[in-house]
Amino acid sequence: MPTVVKKEPTLSPEIEADLRESLKRCSPGTMEAVLSYRNTGDTRAIPAVVMGIIERFLEPENRPKLKHAGNDVLLVEDLGLDSLLMVEIIILVEETLDISIPNEEMRELRTVNDLKEFIDCKVKGIKPPYKPRHLSVQDIAAFMPHQDPFLFVQEATLYEDECEGLYEIRGDEFFLEGHFKGKPIFPASLMIEALGQLAVLQLLKSKRPEIENLIDPQKVYFASCDGVRCHKVCVPGDSLTLKTKLKRIRFPLASFEGRIMAGSEKVAFAEDITLAFDYAK
Amino acid sequence: MRKVVVTGLGFITCIGNDQATVSENLRELRHGIELYPPFQKEGMPVKVAAPVKEFNTESKNPEDWNFPSQYKMRLETLRGLAPQGLYAYCALTQAVEDAGLSEEEVSNLQTGLHTASAGSPGTMYHHLKRMFKVGVMRCSPMGMVSSIAGTLNFSLVASFKIKGSSAGFVSACASSGHAMGFAYDEIVLNRQDRMLVVGAEDGDIVSILPFAGMRALSPSEDPDKASRPFDKDRDGFVVTGGSVAVILEEEGIARKRGARIYSELLGWGQASDGHHVVIPHPEGAGVEAAMHNALKAVGVSTEAVDYVNAHAPSTWHGDLAEAIALKNVFGVNNNGPAISSTKALTGHGLSFGSILEASLCIIAINEGFTPGSAHIETTDPVTKGLNILLETREKAPEIVLSNSSGFGGSNVTLVFKKYPG
Repeated sequence: MPTVVKKEPTLSPEIEADLRESLKRCSPGTMEAVLSYRNTGDTRAIPAVVMGIIERFLEPENRPKLKHAGNDVLLVEDLGLDSLLMVEIIILVEETLDISIPNEEMRELRTVNDLKEFIDCKVKGIKPPYKPRHLSVQDIAAFMPHQDPFLFVQEATLYEDECEGLYEIRGDEFFLEGHFKGKPIFPASLMIEALGQLAVLQLLKSKRPEIENLIDPQKVYFASCDGVRCHKVCVPGDSLTLKTKLKRIRFPLASFEGRIMAGSEKVAFAEDITLAFDYAK
Repeated sequence: MRKVVVTGLGFITCIGNDQATVSENLRELRHGIELYPPFQKEGMPVKVAAPVKEFNTESKNPEDWNFPSQYKMRLETLRGLAPQGLYAYCALTQAVEDAGLSEEEVSNLQTGLHTASAGSPGTMYHHLKRMFKVGVMRCSPMGMVSSIAGTLNFSLVASFKIKGSSAGFVSACASSGHAMGFAYDEIVLNRQDRMLVVGAEDGDIVSILPFAGMRALSPSEDPDKASRPFDKDRDGFVVTGGSVAVILEEEGIARKRGARIYSELLGWGQASDGHHVVIPHPEGAGVEAAMHNALKAVGVSTEAVDYVNAHAPSTWHGDLAEAIALKNVFGVNNNGPAISSTKALTGHGLSFGSILEASLCIIAINEGFTPGSAHIETTDPVTKGLNILLETREKAPEIVLSNSSGFGGSNVTLVFKKYPG
């Protein structure tokens, strides 16, 4: 990975004076680091810039945490930053490093290291690593067309091209009363349904370039399913880990591979689950 | 009916940043007007203003400000403030302490907050200028919330963790009178037990100068004479910034917690001129009706009123209209209530003028004097028959009216009564 990026060789005295003014509440090392980067393009100076700017916006009692807690310190929970302070930090980073950061890219940044790494990638013009994104049951219910009592994804984590979901079999699901009477077993057909739902979730949240427009959540349907194998019977109390992996998107179809685990045991596998979708008008 | 009493006061004003200093300056009729440094240059049509002392809020970056070290606040709070937000925070901190309220007594479902501020045009201007220069996505996300009219609510509800009702009032120079009047209603209607009422204004160069464009400000270069309500040679008003906070409580609740009670807020009334966007009704019809409405609401006769703190801002039209209204309400036999305008001392606080003057009435009632109308050399003949008090009288008024009038002919009269004991 390169450590030096191409920059204008020297800052004009005017820009330097503006930068000094903007950074006057940061530690002196921050300005030195900015000058080093802006004058030589040496990206090794960037962590010091980011740390100096974060520190400047912290309440005094939270500053030692930044110094001592290391890279995994959480921006919101540990350092007390809120979303507006994050905006102020980003604005100052943009100004000092002469870069531009779109709002939506900031949302997944949770730790100091996330932020440093993200800005480092921005400066070098490379794609920042994908940050897994967790969705709670409320998040999921807010956008999914499926709803209780027919929603079989209780939590989900989105990875770049994979998605992991969770469903705990409670025992009071309406269909368990008859499947089977006196001996509740989670239906295999609903396992495929659960994987289908997770695939819908992944498709709706996907940022793949093949998706050219906003997908209408009311227009995603099950199209086909191939190569299904079931390995284990699941009963109330079992916790199902659902996984989908994107294979291909070509409008109006999206294909996934799916698997279900209960702990370390294989429960079910589907070679191909294909959804048909349409864009919102 | 539930009674409303005043149990706390806080002051960040040109005549003092604590109650004792304000009280002394009020009694001695010492003004807070000065040759305002930013006005001392060519082409400035006004020379005087009445800025708060011990604060420096000149920078547009709140982190550069200087203010008395007794006021502590989180950076997060400070960064979201325009100057009047800082003054309001300090005044409210003082009032809460003065009333002896705990954090729980401030932050609960039965305690609300009413505020009045016209916003900070200077702060707004700074942020908008930056927006057009560097682009909207590189502007402080707090620029707008710190400078628009509602800013006091936003910041004080958050920093004092207010959970009861909250609202801001915008009726120009009657704003904080409305804030207090409707706070009274909240308590009387049993919606809240306690109300914090705060008025504040920036009072910087940008918030003052447009009034010069309206020909409303005194061009005087003499701070000792610039603001002289009811003088026949008055030539306009002087602007002051700052903040006053007043704590109102239901009487029984205040007594139960052993609060010191300054006075009773008996009630209030309001009426409008229905006349002109800025010029007062020539015979003060609205302010006359406001006084009548207030007296009717509280069931007090005109004879029982001892003192009227007039709105009289030292403008030709304003003082004239109010003098006529006062004559219509109290007669012209020199036996009416003592009348003075304390704007001679403080200048005109605009949105926070009404609560500033109400607080001065409360001090006067509580400390046993009636403040005079300072700086009058020749009383305007139009006031003939009115009892314009020229010097402080060492006697506490029992019943006090405090008048405020704003643009659009919005008039509020608050009625205070000495609290027995």
